[in-house]
Amino acid sequence: MKKKSFGALLLLMSLSILFLAACNGTDSGSEANGEESGEKGKEEVELRVVTTMAGTDPAGEVFEKKLEQFQEENENVSIVNDSQSADAGTIRTKVNTDFSSDNEPDLMFFFNTVDVQGIIDEGLVVNLEEAEGVDLSGYNSMLEQQRNEDGNLYAAPQTGFYEGLFVNKKLFEEHGIKVPTTWEEYETAIKEFAKTDIIPVAASTIDSYYVVEHYALAAGGNENYTAKLADQNPAWAEGIDNIAKHAEMGAFPEDAATIDLAMAQSIFLQEQAAMIYEGSWFWGQIEESGIAEDISVVPVPVYGDGGQTGDVVGGASSGWFISTKAYEDEKKQKAVVDLFNFLTSEETIIDIAAATGQIPAKGELTDIPDYIATGHDMVKNASSVASPINDRILPEAFTLIRESVPSVVAGEKTGAQVLEEAAALE
Amino acid sequence: MKGDKKYIFLFLTPAFLISGVFLYYPFFENVVQSFYKTDGFFNSTFIGFGNYIRLFQDEVAIGSTLNSLELMLYVAIFQVGIALVLAIMVDSIKHGAAFYRTTFFFPIVISGAAIGLLFTLIYNHRNGLLNEILVSLGFERILWLTEQSSLYMVAIPTVWNYVGFYFVILLTAIGKIPNDYYEAAKLEGITGFQRMTKLTLPLIVSDMKTCLVLAITGSLKIFELVYIITGGGPARSSEVLGTYMYQKAFEDSAIGYGATLAVLMVVIGLTLAFITNKLLKSDGITY
Repeated sequence: MKKKSFGALLLLMSLSILFLAACNGTDSGSEANGEESGEKGKEEVELRVVTTMAGTDPAGEVFEKKLEQFQEENENVSIVNDSQSADAGTIRTKVNTDFSSDNEPDLMFFFNTVDVQGIIDEGLVVNLEEAEGVDLSGYNSMLEQQRNEDGNLYAAPQTGFYEGLFVNKKLFEEHGIKVPTTWEEYETAIKEFAKTDIIPVAASTIDSYYVVEHYALAAGGNENYTAKLADQNPAWAEGIDNIAKHAEMGAFPEDAATIDLAMAQSIFLQEQAAMIYEGSWFWGQIEESGIAEDISVVPVPVYGDGGQTGDVVGGASSGWFISTKAYEDEKKQKAVVDLFNFLTSEETIIDIAAATGQIPAKGELTDIPDYIATGHDMVKNASSVASPINDRILPEAFTLIRESVPSVVAGEKTGAQVLEEAAALE
Repeated sequence: MKGDKKYIFLFLTPAFLISGVFLYYPFFENVVQSFYKTDGFFNSTFIGFGNYIRLFQDEVAIGSTLNSLELMLYVAIFQVGIALVLAIMVDSIKHGAAFYRTTFFFPIVISGAAIGLLFTLIYNHRNGLLNEILVSLGFERILWLTEQSSLYMVAIPTVWNYVGFYFVILLTAIGKIPNDYYEAAKLEGITGFQRMTKLTLPLIVSDMKTCLVLAITGSLKIFELVYIITGGGPARSSEVLGTYMYQKAFEDSAIGYGATLAVLMVVIGLTLAFITNKLLKSDGITY
């Protein structure tokens, strides 16, 4: 009796596993076998797409609709949208894991920075200029910004971004302080706000991505800003030292060394701080908090030799990649190229850009609020645009710089020492 | 008996398989990775003991190890100590024991991430609970998280988070002591303090040892509270091995070096668990 019960239990478990396996295998089975679709006479194809357009990203909803539209127009194609709203570290790990375990997405929207270099070196994504059927027409200058050091083009951009000094005009007006256009005015604004209950610059020194970048830019303009880390450019060192100098002047929150970026943003959004260094993606949160009309964005005032005020950090650091595996798969090639062309068409790019207010890589946005237009104009009128430092150097080196800022503020290190330590990692 | 062995084997097989696939194999892979220099997941280069040499020269790694050990000390003393005091007190009351059991156990139910966020808001300089109380009482705001204080400030929620766990273990252990012992001692005229020191504590030594080993090894896993409350700062003053390993492996994509830090954590955990077991070795009491 005991043995019979056990046998029945084993049988039940085996059947359950078989049932689950059968349920799960439907899609991949049709993909692997390349079944013929009776009605259309075309092979069924399943494509997996990975992007960061998901979750609270306003682009996620538009992107989902675009995928639905493509599937309606191409009934033989089913798309698995594996997008996830994630911070840079998480999506980087996911993409790297997928590619290194032979489970790469067929199409992905990912950082075209040092983060993707390993994937490119391994030949896991295609050179778009040599790929048959890929349409790269109609792009503005953002396309060229995607060109790899080896001269090839592996990614096609969708939107561009910029970083800058976001200012709360209302607070400046209330306190009779001028929105800074020169470094002196910037320091005056810090001194004046420090006397009030308003924090001059909402910043986290431990999460100081944008602060480090803009202080380096201010100290030497784009000519020095675009230097290599190995150069240990004095302008970068001066920029880091200036953060400590301004911290001493009361520029940042008292607990800047322990709060994260989200907390710094929160201080600005609650109008407890007058300025913040951020990127164009920040507009979404500003709009949500209902203060957008009072906010403007200006370029960091450049005072050092090697540039001028108007130099901007920005570019198009993400793009659409086609995996070599999908492209070389005869069953998938046409579908993946069609989807790529669809997603990088002017219509799709404009629709997605409209949801976020970012600068489209094709065409132009119309009917945008004045505050968004200010950012677009800043880029249009920029004396030069350079990609952020952390897109260009080893992540480990940038983390060291960023995490060392509190030590510089505490007087334990100098900017030059930090750069020396970071350069040694490369 | 022979038939029983077959069932034992059959029922244990899934556990062995799962442990093997999800625990031992990844650990083996982790050890292998620690001998490679990896930029991202690609371009791995075998560097032998290069990561281990770097580990012993890395000031942040050494500082993180010392911070982890310091945190371990606080956890061992206060988590188990407070849990023991609470367990003895709750055991001695006649009414409301269930209420206290639930109250003390409650923090365990809350995730570390939520507690981290909660304490971030408590310590926040500008809008935090502590400073709001101070301001309302007419005092100046205090910077709670400084280089000097940060480790203590993360130790507080860490201790609070797990006190309930050890409290329940020790309360159960006390509850298992036969009442006859106490009744016999009462007839001998034992005082309340003697009851605790001569009877209760000696009879739950093995449970206290278990709690200590769990607290010591568990403290090496401390991650989310530090990550959320201080991010390891200011100026690395509260960096622990867990946060530093995460940073190296996932933020910096230095997988090989991150794996080396993970090996170090395992080695420290095993060594300390072994030492604790040796030091607290005692004959088990059965009743």
